[in-house]
Amino acid sequence: MAARLPQIALTLVLLSLAAWFAIGLMPGDPASLAMMADPKLTPADVERLRALHGLDQPLLARYGAWVLGLLRGELGFSRLFAQPVWMVLWPALLSTLVLVGMAVALAAVIGVALGALAAMRPRLAPLVDGLALLGQAVPSFWLGILFIIFFAVQLGWLPAGGLPEPGSSSLPFLVLPVATIAFGQLAGYARHATAALGAELQKPFITSIRARGAGEARVVWRHALPNAAVPLLTLLALDAGALVSGALVTETLFARPGMGKLLYDAVMGNDYNLALLALLLVALATMLATLAADLAQLWLDPRIETR
Amino acid sequence: MGHAWRRAILASLVPLGLTLPAAAQAPRDRLTIGLAQYPSTFHPNIEAMAAKSYILGFARRPLTAYDADWKLTCLACERLPTLENGDAVLERTPDGKDGIRLTYRIREGERWADGTPVSADDLRFAWEAGRSFETGFGGAEFYRSAYELIVVDARTVTLRLDKVTYDFAAMGDFQPLPSRIERPRWQSDPKTYRSRTAYDTETTNPGLWNGPYRVTAVQPGAGVTLERNAHWTGPAPAFERIAIRTVENSAALEAQLLAGQLDMVAGELGLPLEQAVALQRRTGDRFRVEYVPGLTYEHIDLKLDNPILADRRVRQALLYGADRAQIVERLYQGRQEVAAGGVHPRDPIYEADVPRYAFDPARAAALLEEAGWKPGPDGIRRNAAGEKLSFEFMTTAGNRAREQVQQVLAGMWRAIGVEARIRNEPPRVFFAETVSRRRFDALAMFAWVSSPENVPRSLFHSDEIPRAERNWSGQNYTGYRDAEVDRLIEAIPVELDPAKRRPMWAALQRKLATDLPALPLWHRSDAHVWPRWLEGIRPTGHQNYSSLWVTEWRVR
Amino acid sequence: MTRLRLGLFLLVLLASAAVAAPWLAGLLGRDPLAPDLFARYAPPGAGFPLGADELGRDLLLRLFFGARVSLGVGLAAALAATLLGTAIGLLAAWRGGWVDALLMRLADGLLALPALPILVLLAAIDPARFGLPRGEAMTDMIRITTILVLFGWVGVARLARAGAITILASDYVRAARALGVSEARLLLRHVLPGLRAPVAVAGALAVAGAILAESVLSFLGLGIQPPAPSWGNMLANAQEAVFEAPLAALWPGLAILAAVAGCSLVADGLSRARR
Repeated sequence: MAARLPQIALTLVLLSLAAWFAIGLMPGDPASLAMMADPKLTPADVERLRALHGLDQPLLARYGAWVLGLLRGELGFSRLFAQPVWMVLWPALLSTLVLVGMAVALAAVIGVALGALAAMRPRLAPLVDGLALLGQAVPSFWLGILFIIFFAVQLGWLPAGGLPEPGSSSLPFLVLPVATIAFGQLAGYARHATAALGAELQKPFITSIRARGAGEARVVWRHALPNAAVPLLTLLALDAGALVSGALVTETLFARPGMGKLLYDAVMGNDYNLALLALLLVALATMLATLAADLAQLWLDPRIETR
Repeated sequence: MGHAWRRAILASLVPLGLTLPAAAQAPRDRLTIGLAQYPSTFHPNIEAMAAKSYILGFARRPLTAYDADWKLTCLACERLPTLENGDAVLERTPDGKDGIRLTYRIREGERWADGTPVSADDLRFAWEAGRSFETGFGGAEFYRSAYELIVVDARTVTLRLDKVTYDFAAMGDFQPLPSRIERPRWQSDPKTYRSRTAYDTETTNPGLWNGPYRVTAVQPGAGVTLERNAHWTGPAPAFERIAIRTVENSAALEAQLLAGQLDMVAGELGLPLEQAVALQRRTGDRFRVEYVPGLTYEHIDLKLDNPILADRRVRQALLYGADRAQIVERLYQGRQEVAAGGVHPRDPIYEADVPRYAFDPARAAALLEEAGWKPGPDGIRRNAAGEKLSFEFMTTAGNRAREQVQQVLAGMWRAIGVEARIRNEPPRVFFAETVSRRRFDALAMFAWVSSPENVPRSLFHSDEIPRAERNWSGQNYTGYRDAEVDRLIEAIPVELDPAKRRPMWAALQRKLATDLPALPLWHRSDAHVWPRWLEGIRPTGHQNYSSLWVTEWRVR
Repeated sequence: MTRLRLGLFLLVLLASAAVAAPWLAGLLGRDPLAPDLFARYAPPGAGFPLGADELGRDLLLRLFFGARVSLGVGLAAALAATLLGTAIGLLAAWRGGWVDALLMRLADGLLALPALPILVLLAAIDPARFGLPRGEAMTDMIRITTILVLFGWVGVARLARAGAITILASDYVRAARALGVSEARLLLRHVLPGLRAPVAVAGALAVAGAILAESVLSFLGLGIQPPAPSWGNMLANAQEAVFEAPLAALWPGLAILAAVAGCSLVADGLSRARR
């Protein structure tokens, strides 16, 4: 386990290098963007702009300078938003974490409940299966639009998107986007819960508990579920990590600024520093989530050996 | 259990259901505007961007602006300098060039929202910062030309320019910046001023705003809240607060409007025309929709180095073969006019008497025959050498309005035996590389945003063809070169007499409409969607947006 | 087995739509690419079984042709990802040690890397330089497939590696080695067949993932370029006019749903059959 942290660090370094070159090879540097905004720039102006942005340096040298700055604790500025990177990243990360956190929690709770239901009442299993299938198969932006049309435009119950006015409750604004993401994630939990609980319920110790006259609900919730929680936890961690950048579509549809949107804008707007740091942050989040899941697994189920 | 659940759900939904309509019924002292973009900076001089111009229109007062009738007017100044009133004086520069001296006096009572008067020093700071290249202000050409600024008194400055053009009085983006707040930040390191300016680090500082409103809250990426500027001395605006909400996805923007979260959608940066037309058809008279032809000129650049397109007859045939009127009628219900060229019909320099190329497939076919392109076995024409009349047609991927037009045009051209192969790229790739480095093969469809009486030097002068040696500057992507056009483009800006400029403008427009280095499509119409109770908004159609005249907006 | 059958039935149905597309075009006497401005958003009826899209093209016909693109991308991406993933998983399990560590960290890194910058990068490459035709749907399909494979092999590789490690540790592999069976033969004849079931499941799910991913790319404007139809770009175009013509958004949505559901059912059926 202890070897994981240096590995994560190494992955991050390699990732940053790969991303730097990927972005660097993309057409359109800040100077050409400026040129499009102001057609009256002369060739000499463009030269000076390139020098000003350090674009006359080779790609690797710029990467070196960036890393040195980072090691000195200088996160630097976002070119696109003309602000310290952290001031741009922080609110976006927060907003996405709230959205994704709520969605994954909701999906896990409902998914596990459905899975438990299917395990307890095999007659209901096809229904749960069908719902899970639907959740997996519906394209999320399509579902989001349907939600908006129905709940916001037709019924007028919930806002169609955006953020609340500063100071008012943000809960109504979260309902539809959270539901959109959660519906897509539901399937995984329901399936895993059904399978894991089904397997647990076959085990001898459950039979003996049942024989002692414990109610079926008690058997499932108190005894089978904790044992089935291990693979679910891994799933949870992987989901949360992937969704931090994957929320782009939902964020676009519901006009919520967040990491997905920020990353997209940074890449499209050639904001090296912002794009790279956002990328690394997302990658770090994913890897830490995986690590946390592994640790939790170890703690819940000491039988698992580490290699 | 089931019942209790349902009741709980209903109970939690009912208050929500009530809040939205209730908000719409509230006394109309606030206005919520939907906008399709969020500005990346609030600094007036850094990075030109439509969303920023729209928002700053409420909160800033530039020296001069073009009004809704496309006439140059004073906003923060007392009067426009002219040669007649003596505020503009022709002179020689110290190094012997033709120069001009312009005097501006800031209007009495102009104040920043913290109560400080707007002063000549604020203009001086803006000039100093702009003059120093590393600050990174837009409009580098103006600051190069404005070689001296003299503070006459607390409210008056005199500028000396080493270039005399007919639009000398228009100050564009040169406008007062609060020197008290910004100068120290700039002085400590001009190079990084861009990321330390108070406009982006303390956007809600009242001292930054001198318009009828000031920015009081910012939600990055989501919206901006504006409140009345307590020190504003002009006519009082109607609303206590204006909230601007950014929604980039246009279906989502429409949904928020329909859900009652937005009162209006700004036409300058709002719903695509096609969508607004459909919205109006569906919702009847719930909203007022006004279509205003603007200065965004959709066209197709033709790469003249391509041997097929080098022949003028082929270019003309392409335009004859494109039923633009039909597209406008079917896609936009006629809410937008077919363009004859890059100059807008409302522009005072517009010349009506130019070749117009109404849809005429027979004429198109005849021109192609004449150019040596005969019908081939598969319906695509071929020349004597057996080469197909086939080329690439590019535009920005993801812009659905353009992609639709592109597919329709390709279909129309196929009917006259021309094959246009569609290949699109994301805007960033398309503009930054393919178009600006002239790497497209034949056709590139996109838009230019211009201003009234704009000399299209960068578009058509032969010096402005982007080349590696010139760092790819210039926007003459078609590679058009014509001695006559070069001469006109050089002569027009320095001719101060409007009566003498007129025939030159006409000649230029006629020449371009004959040669067709670019195929004109239309000047895009902006669709302004307002609530019934709002009146007094006068869309301008150009880069000085309606928000600059917010004090005329009224609740009915 | 009913799941497997139901899933296969759905997929066969959709695949036959893809095959029958030119035939339907002949039957309707229409071109799936040619716009007809007079038939914009035509309602379902005589000339248009499911109505027409924003440019007056027959929706049913475009759905049929879209099946070729969407299923094509899905199958190609899944197939390539499965082959690559299996090979890498097998290699990692067999060699172990630093090879294993390196490959698995690479997998971790890819999982953490958002695909977007690479996609834009690929969109910027001139296909003519690789001898691919410009402006053809095929080029877009290759571009999107490449991206999906680049990120898609990871899941398969993990499964394959886990399976292979178990098999390689089994007594009968040890016995085979003791008997002097060559390593190549061991892997091909003994380990690989044992991986069939988990890899098939992963492959079926990869098809589903690829079809969904294509629709998301289209939503961002990075998918299949017009005029070629794919379910993703049909859906993305229709969502813009969803208030005007909700049905135009319904059909491609259902097609994607059916395809993804079909793949999931097949995957499910396979994994149950294994048990």
